[in-house]
Amino acid sequence: MDIETLTRGLHPLEIRVLRACPERGEAEEKHVRREAGLEEGQFRRAIQWLLSKEIVAVVREEAAETIQLTELGKAFAAKGTPEMQLLARVGATPGLTVPECTAGFDVPEDEMRAAFGKLRKLGALRIAGGGVERDPAADIGPFERVSALIARLAAQPGTPMTALAADEQETVRGLVHKRMRAKGVFYLERETNLVFALTAAGAEVRAKAFALGLSGEEVSRLTQDMLRDGSWRGKTFRKYSVEFAPPRRVLARRHPYREFLDFVKYKLTSMGFVEMRGPLVECEFWNMDALFMPQFHAAREIHDAYFIKAPTHALRLEPDFLAQVAAAHEDGGDSGASGWRYTFDRERTRRLVLRTQGTALSARQLGLGALIPGRYFAMARCFRPDTVDATHACDFFQCEGIALGEEINFRTLLGLLTLFATEVAKAEEVKFVPAYFPFTEPSVEAHIRHPRLGWIELGGAGIFRPEVTYPLGVTAPVLAWGLGLDRMAMVALKINDIRELFSRDLDALRTRRLELELY
Amino acid sequence: MPTISCSEHDLLGLIGEDMDRARLLSLLPLAKAGFDGEEDGKLRIELQDTNRPDLWSCEGVARQLRAHLRGATPSYPFFRARAARAGGRVEVDADLAAIRPVVGAFIARGVEVDEATLIQIIQTQEKLCEGYGHKRREAAMGVYDASAIEFPVRYRAAAPDETRFVPLGFEQPMTLNEILRDHPKGRDYRRLVEGKPRYPLLEDSAGTVLSFPPVINSRALGEVEVGDDNLFVEVTGHDLRIVALVLNIMACNFADRGWTIVPITAVYPYDTAFGREVTIPMDLSCTQEVPLAKVNKALGLALAGKEVQALLRSYGVAAKLKAGGIISATSPAYRADYMHPVDVIEDIAIARGYERFEPVMPETFTVGGLAPSTLLADRARQELVGYGFQEVFSNVLMSREETRARLRIDAPLVEIENFVSDTYSVVRDRLLVSLLRVESSSTKAQYPHQIFEVGEVAVYDESAVHGSRTEDHAAALMASGEAGFSDIHSYLDALMYFLARDYRLESRDMPFAIEGRGAVVRVGEKEVGVIAELHPEVLVAWGMEAPAAYFEINLSALA
Repeated sequence: MDIETLTRGLHPLEIRVLRACPERGEAEEKHVRREAGLEEGQFRRAIQWLLSKEIVAVVREEAAETIQLTELGKAFAAKGTPEMQLLARVGATPGLTVPECTAGFDVPEDEMRAAFGKLRKLGALRIAGGGVERDPAADIGPFERVSALIARLAAQPGTPMTALAADEQETVRGLVHKRMRAKGVFYLERETNLVFALTAAGAEVRAKAFALGLSGEEVSRLTQDMLRDGSWRGKTFRKYSVEFAPPRRVLARRHPYREFLDFVKYKLTSMGFVEMRGPLVECEFWNMDALFMPQFHAAREIHDAYFIKAPTHALRLEPDFLAQVAAAHEDGGDSGASGWRYTFDRERTRRLVLRTQGTALSARQLGLGALIPGRYFAMARCFRPDTVDATHACDFFQCEGIALGEEINFRTLLGLLTLFATEVAKAEEVKFVPAYFPFTEPSVEAHIRHPRLGWIELGGAGIFRPEVTYPLGVTAPVLAWGLGLDRMAMVALKINDIRELFSRDLDALRTRRLELELY
Repeated sequence: MPTISCSEHDLLGLIGEDMDRARLLSLLPLAKAGFDGEEDGKLRIELQDTNRPDLWSCEGVARQLRAHLRGATPSYPFFRARAARAGGRVEVDADLAAIRPVVGAFIARGVEVDEATLIQIIQTQEKLCEGYGHKRREAAMGVYDASAIEFPVRYRAAAPDETRFVPLGFEQPMTLNEILRDHPKGRDYRRLVEGKPRYPLLEDSAGTVLSFPPVINSRALGEVEVGDDNLFVEVTGHDLRIVALVLNIMACNFADRGWTIVPITAVYPYDTAFGREVTIPMDLSCTQEVPLAKVNKALGLALAGKEVQALLRSYGVAAKLKAGGIISATSPAYRADYMHPVDVIEDIAIARGYERFEPVMPETFTVGGLAPSTLLADRARQELVGYGFQEVFSNVLMSREETRARLRIDAPLVEIENFVSDTYSVVRDRLLVSLLRVESSSTKAQYPHQIFEVGEVAVYDESAVHGSRTEDHAAALMASGEAGFSDIHSYLDALMYFLARDYRLESRDMPFAIEGRGAVVRVGEKEVGVIAELHPEVLVAWGMEAPAAYFEINLSALA
């Protein structure tokens, strides 16, 4: 980051610290803090920021002891040490008894008795026939010096130990009680004093801050009060380091796979397709029979569809095209075909299954009466019995549909697929190969060229066989198509396991992004 | 879809033309075939058309490509043979009618079996019988050294516990029932004969067993080896068309390798679709008449009759031009998929090459739009995202335990009879289960959690046409240290307000709710949803670590 940006992004506290720093050489934390007029916490924060931006660097850390007075010490400073107080009382009123001497002070009595003992031992006080009296000849210099030292240190709290003479230091240590217990006179505060210096860049930043006239008095936050009372006028606002990464927030979003399906849905409606919907539990009639899949077809066996346990059969077929569809299977009916030539099981048509293909909805739409010209699509959840793994989901979406029109032919089928390739899959290259579906003829598979993955399948399509459309009362050509969305979605979501399309991990959902330009 | 493997050398030899790999692969679409990579030095080829079993072999793919390269239909004279040679007969017992009524066979001779041929015979047999023949139910094939067989062959019904022979892969004679019990193939295929009073058996006139169809060949006759040059190929089943088609395909495959095909006649004491004496190979070709105008309309082209004729020939289809612009197309004898003129039209398109069709963009105008139910569902989704709920999207299959015991409820639901895994054995009937699934997997995600899903459920209902109703639901759940009834109620209130539905709550105890903290949502007299602070038993059952409250609305009931 360049010096100007760095400087403009400084917080007011940082500016105040920098202004208090010497231009070159070492700076002691406490001096700078005093100079900048900052509280301990503010100063600490500012220094941390400056260190992380490498504007200042630590030269060394110094440990220092400073002397503070305990409550007792403060009382001694105000009224004198117990020794001095005793000397004063006995001097003023000689002849008191020992208990009379030590009673009635603010200081605890045992403290006074200890002081009495010390003075007596030294000879400054003695007990004569008439009571306690002073010996004026005794040297009370040491007591006076201690008293004076306490008074001096009380006047300058926080005096460093190093500021005292050696004997004074010894005296202080003798009067220190650990952990500030009441009996101590002093306690020592140990603090580390940071010694730091501007870095080369820091010196430039400092110079720049001066040059820009930054004072550290800039307004950090515009408040409602400032707006109300107009006090913002004439103030300058601190400039932010706008390029810094913001904090991450927990947001609410659409599910990424649904976002993808929504995109496809909007594309299809914009291309003139009407959405079809239908039941998850479908009868074999619409799921297979109406699509001219013979009842002996491999895809109709027990391992290719989920059958419903109960009730096993639909009450009736709605709408009812049973006779026409049965005829198409058996001998072609009126479709002009030969049919599959087997005995069609009418009971089986009502057998309930979980929908195995979205094409079931297209068949239903034809039965319900589709417009000509008309276009329909469905995003249908489908089910196939499979062991769930990275490429098989227990249920999945198929995007399928139909287009009806007298002008529909093989080339318009390819045209529509090309449109899907460019509009839905954003592919620039598409190729068509022959394919097989039981319900379409001709049938085609479309492949698109993906910039990273090479040729991938876009989907399958074809023109519905007359054996599908005629029994349902439709004689116009009907084009049927299906798109392989799962693969496209996995590419767009950058996942390799199909199960992650339906991820249950909230953290993943909160962060997974759809890369629409990628598929 | 069947996938076959064949050596490139063998394939090119059968095509009869040398070409590089790229060109070979570019021709595969003609056979609706896709290149699926190489394995053990062989090409893996996937065949798409489940109604074209003639393509499911190296020979079949080569045949389709050869027709294209030569522009001519292959000719197989044996389809015109009227009668089998003396001795080449299979005699069928009357009792088979109710067991496995159809048998067909031919003899192939004149070339020695080599390694490549043997591998292809076994592969084709497997594809045709397991795939097209529905796991041998409709077609089971046996291939034998014909020199060791005393003709005629007899197809009879045998007593399961008295008939015995040495099956392939074993040393000792076994009864038919012992084979079903102890032989691996017996266990695989016993479902096809079990329960019948007698089982099918093929033996020659000397009484030597050929095989126990559709289960296993005999060791005595049913093992083909490299060097054999006289093979008896038989297929049994139920539908003469399927049996004949499978044999036709096999015969053509042998013929393409230079073998001579000798037809065989099966003599039945009962009626079949083709009479009581049936000679195979049998011409199953089918003629479709298509007006040229219809071809051109369907393909969006303006082809001349001659062009169509040439295209069909290059696809192996004989075509005649008849008066009135009618094209009479006759499928080859090894294909039985001409059901309608559209099948001919597709052949023309494939023969021309899909890449040569210029796509035409749709010109008609249609009005598109989402279903009304989707519009309502999408509105609900937008609202809930706006309220700060993260959308989730789930599989709809669940376990019974999740949908019932873990919610402390017990009511019928839509269950799968043939489920693969217990985990996916029922269809959810409420979204609560899906939301709880997410919660139970997300206890590490930063709280508070606010999630929702809008999606389909299937509600069990015997009075409904399909035994259930598919409904769109919208459900939202809050989970955090503070989440409670009134929090979720405010969001329900907002949702109903913005969806413009007047509602009221009616207190109701529900097994998954804390007593006195559950209600049903009513719009008018209709119950359209529930709201609840979830019972700690439910939270514990789902391994949740925070209190939760939720509501669920049946959007379908609001429509």
